[in-house]
Amino acid sequence: MTESAVPDSLAVRSRGTGLKLGRFRDLTLVPVIILLLIVGSFADPVFMTTGNLTNVLQQQSALALVVLAEALVLIAGKFDLSLESTVGLAPALAVMLVIPTSAGGFGLGVPVALAIPLCLLIGAAVGAFNGFLILRFQLSAFIVTLAMLIVVRGLQTGITGGKSLFALPPSFLYLGSATWLGIPAAIWITAVLFAAGIVVLRFFRTGRALYAIGGNADAARAAGIRVERVTWVVFVISGTLAAVAGMLETGRLGGISANQGDGWIFMVFAAAVIGGVSMDGGKGTILGALTGVLVIGLVENILTLKGVPGEWRNLVYGAIILVALMISRLAGGKAQD
Amino acid sequence: MKHFLSAAGVAALALALAACGSTSDNSTATGGGSTAAAGGKVGVDFPRADSDFWNSYNKYVPEMGKELGVDLMPPTNSQNDIAKVVANTQALVSQGAKAIVMAPQDTGAIASTLQSLESKKIPVVSVDTRPDTGKVYMVVRADNRAYGQKACEFLGDKLGGKGKIVELMGALSSINGRDRAEAFRECMKTKFPGITVFEEPTEWDGTKAASMLQTRLEQNPDIKGIYMHAGGVHLAPTLQVLKAKNLIVPPTDPKHIFVISNDGIPQEFAAIRDGSIDATVSQPADLYAKYALFYAKAAVEGKTFQPGPTDHDSTIIQLPNGLEDQLPAPLVTKDNVDDPALWGNQVK
Repeated sequence: MTESAVPDSLAVRSRGTGLKLGRFRDLTLVPVIILLLIVGSFADPVFMTTGNLTNVLQQQSALALVVLAEALVLIAGKFDLSLESTVGLAPALAVMLVIPTSAGGFGLGVPVALAIPLCLLIGAAVGAFNGFLILRFQLSAFIVTLAMLIVVRGLQTGITGGKSLFALPPSFLYLGSATWLGIPAAIWITAVLFAAGIVVLRFFRTGRALYAIGGNADAARAAGIRVERVTWVVFVISGTLAAVAGMLETGRLGGISANQGDGWIFMVFAAAVIGGVSMDGGKGTILGALTGVLVIGLVENILTLKGVPGEWRNLVYGAIILVALMISRLAGGKAQD
Repeated sequence: MKHFLSAAGVAALALALAACGSTSDNSTATGGGSTAAAGGKVGVDFPRADSDFWNSYNKYVPEMGKELGVDLMPPTNSQNDIAKVVANTQALVSQGAKAIVMAPQDTGAIASTLQSLESKKIPVVSVDTRPDTGKVYMVVRADNRAYGQKACEFLGDKLGGKGKIVELMGALSSINGRDRAEAFRECMKTKFPGITVFEEPTEWDGTKAASMLQTRLEQNPDIKGIYMHAGGVHLAPTLQVLKAKNLIVPPTDPKHIFVISNDGIPQEFAAIRDGSIDATVSQPADLYAKYALFYAKAAVEGKTFQPGPTDHDSTIIQLPNGLEDQLPAPLVTKDNVDDPALWGNQVK
């Protein structure tokens, strides 16, 4: 299967259409996705049904938003590892502020309607704090957000006492569990946010500025871009997106466990990087990152449908991601960075 | 079972006195020298602070310590990291612990620590897990194979020996997850060969559990039973998936899916009462704490035990590297969910 896809795309490239193909660099995973769709429909008759594909999208929507957030930060030439912890803390802290002590909250009597705005605010605050340390204190983004990953997770474990929160207000669960026009609300929300990301980064000056900053911050500054301010805003936005992801995930699961989001960041980077977003900044697109999420979601779905034994699952999973990387490298015809 | 009630009363009293008690504990610990208490100090390492079951255990330990008159050092917490277990154990020993209570979640990598403790003549009580090698004074755990067995018999009976079941498994790297899965598999194969089991490796992760269950229900809408290895992580996602599919209906409805869980946390009891799940096997957090300290104290006092039945409805079995007290784990259904002796009913 892989054999047929690879030489085709190579042939196209060698005919010298590289210039045209360059426009589709962010779509190098499309052959992988088509391949997965074919493999999946052979693997199980349920795979190609709308019900199953909708499930895949719903299951991936929260992760997808974190990938969107990470892609923005990566394109601007920075790093944010703490996003996975925000996925847990933002909903947990917001909910604890509104629920009574009997349900595990602080019992402050904050109106329930404020839970969602509070959740977004907490995410934004974590992002702003990251930005403060990285831009004002001039610390390495990698190490700051690594420390924040631990701090934010530790804060959640501390305030919840490590317990899962079960008794959540229905309004807070609504967006993660509701269905609009036959499709889960989480998919709509994720789709709208991705569309916004694609449009802003392609057609708006501030969006284009991210590429300039990620490519060469000094040149961007010389060109009149307010590098620090834009980067700071990117951290705030990505923190907020992680909070939205946490809220959707909470709605899907019906509870907040102390390890919600734990370990996601590896999947997030995998999705962003196989989707063509460069770890060095300045390169990649939001659409590409989205294709990365789809690949990961489809692989997980096929593995579950086939009932791959637990002992072997991670091996198969990791191997498929490696193959996807190689296919996208060959289809894109460009060295990975 | 009656003595649990009195135990709870004593524990409450002990809590009231905790303010003065804890300060004296601290001073002896930091002093590091010999203490007046008979036997010597007991060091406890908690495995983690991010799961409901272990949080209950962590809470019971100081309460039971007071009750049994154990000279407890301030407990350490190894956050599910075997390297931290090793470091914490060394710290406790250098602070003067005469016995160690630990719950190593990685049962292989603890071996060298156990050897070095043995060479220092410090007895070890292992809670919940059975170290693969290395001397232990006593392993205190419920019989996890019995969990799988009970879940299999419950679901097999309810389904009348045919149909499809989803099993949300724990991490296969943990002996408890493996024991539950193996016992369930064996029992299903021998007693209910007509039942198809889908094993889902969720790694104790709610996110994965929700996705896998949702996908499996899409693929096999005729699934009639669910076995969750851990209510703490699997309960909320399972209920949310079933709710979205309108599958939470009374057992008399042909659409009903029978759900059995393991753990026995209060939220599972609530779900049993309102009929959204059918049963759970209660993992006795209170007994874990009580007998861990009981044996630690006995070890310090130099007592020894023999394999055989005990005075608390359990059996001590011989292991190659020590003894194991297999505590009872009761099946909880709608009929006995209000039993006040269940630890899930004692948590506030």
